[in-house]
Amino acid sequence: MEITSSIHIGPFEILYPLKPPVLSIRHNGNHSYPGRLFVVEGIDGSGKSTQLSLLHKWLESKGYGVVFSEWNSSPLVKDTTKLGKKKKLLTPATFSLIHATDFADRTERSILPLLKAGAVVLCDRYIYTAFARDVARGMDREWVRDLYGFAVKPTVAFYFRVPLETAIGRLVGARDGFKYYEAGLDLGLSADAEDSFRMFQGRIIEEYEKMMPEFGLTIVDATLPVEAQQAQVRKIVQAHLETAKNLRIRP
Amino acid sequence: MRQTYGKHLPAIKLSDLPGKLIVIEGTDGAGRTTQINRLKPWLEELGHATMDTGMTRSRLAGEGIRRAKEGNNLGHVTQSLFYATDFIDRLENEIVPALRAGFIVLTDRYIYSLMARAIIRGMDPSWIRSIYSVALKPDVVFYLRIGIDQLLPRVVFSRGFDYWESGMDLYPGHDMYDSFCKYQAALLAEFDSLSEEYKFETVDAAADADTVCARLKNRILGILEPSRQEAVVSNSRPDLIEAMTQSVLGNLVTKSNGAKAHAENCMEVASHPLIAHASRGNGRIAL
Repeated sequence: MEITSSIHIGPFEILYPLKPPVLSIRHNGNHSYPGRLFVVEGIDGSGKSTQLSLLHKWLESKGYGVVFSEWNSSPLVKDTTKLGKKKKLLTPATFSLIHATDFADRTERSILPLLKAGAVVLCDRYIYTAFARDVARGMDREWVRDLYGFAVKPTVAFYFRVPLETAIGRLVGARDGFKYYEAGLDLGLSADAEDSFRMFQGRIIEEYEKMMPEFGLTIVDATLPVEAQQAQVRKIVQAHLETAKNLRIRP
Repeated sequence: MRQTYGKHLPAIKLSDLPGKLIVIEGTDGAGRTTQINRLKPWLEELGHATMDTGMTRSRLAGEGIRRAKEGNNLGHVTQSLFYATDFIDRLENEIVPALRAGFIVLTDRYIYSLMARAIIRGMDPSWIRSIYSVALKPDVVFYLRIGIDQLLPRVVFSRGFDYWESGMDLYPGHDMYDSFCKYQAALLAEFDSLSEEYKFETVDAAADADTVCARLKNRILGILEPSRQEAVVSNSRPDLIEAMTQSVLGNLVTKSNGAKAHAENCMEVASHPLIAHASRGNGRIAL
């Protein structure tokens, strides 16, 4: 899907202005949200969560009101997702829909109101994760993008780009095995968890690569030292905060 | 080959779905459940394996939705998507396997109720249509239509007002009566507009239940004519019945791995509506 136009709402745009099903967005379309939304994306083992956590601490130390929202964490929905994963009930379609439901709850209940309240909202994974994973599972590319039409467009979406083998190398030592859905074992690509993970994450990387120009993702070379990546991230974030001095809640 | 409303799901193969998909739609209190409870035994007596399904009955999301509705913090986008999850789970795991096995599927509400509810809650109509573009086109949609004037006494003097049926999430501050009237009127208007777009067969639900039922039966017989002839053939083919039972069993069991999950599934299989019918059908199942 091509984004041809966008409505500017303060620093934000709604991803698909023709399909804004969130009531508050439609009714408050001309309002300016004082908050900022930064999201990190990348495959497992790309180091994005580490980077976000460092950014979080830095922003807090600077005195900003920072709120963190994690993929798949809605208190209303996560038990259903957990049930689906544990009992292996999820198909590509229901996997997609239950994650969209979770994201909707977080958007309606926290992300959107917090942005209105002037917070800096940090999201570990955002709609691009769903676009990459669901399409890698065989869902229609346009259908999934439509599904998330209610999402708020981030101020900056960082994509931590890393070669697959580097990510796997980081994961092998750090975790006890590969999880069923994360490794794409539901797709029957390979009976071996690591093989399946490699094939599935390979597909996900392909989707991310297509999304970089489509959504203007900001690329971070995730093979660089942690400190170098963080310096780059902070510099970009800083630039977006300069126009938002009023965000400071303490001197 | 069955058709969808535009998009395909990777887990659904559209060929070889010989069953019939019959949708009963209508606002709350229109008598949908009453009619389904009459139609199902009637169809089974005629020799058709029949299963029924309805909102929030999915194994995946049914319980989650019930729990979410207990609180007062279910947003409208979240609510719409939670119901979509429930619907797709039943489509993939109940409706499609039943159609594949030649069953008649009677569904109490379908995508149209979900679309109507979402649209009057402010969701973009093109957004909700896109989500449900993956649904199968039914063989027939009966729209049990009833005006608010006739609906009110049914609700007031039987079960009373319900928070969600009265749309209290939409009109907080109103009393249940005012909210109910407003909400049901909005739903009715939305149904009427969907009715044209999706070619509903409107049945006047203000009539008594027997009249409504006779009308539905008459129409259903017209749709089933070819299948009824096949039913006679299948009477002499116990092997086909067996094959169908196996295919339904297979469908349920392939979803799990490991002995524990398998044992769990076997227990479920015994109580699964498809199997219950298959074992009760005594060779009267239309394939």
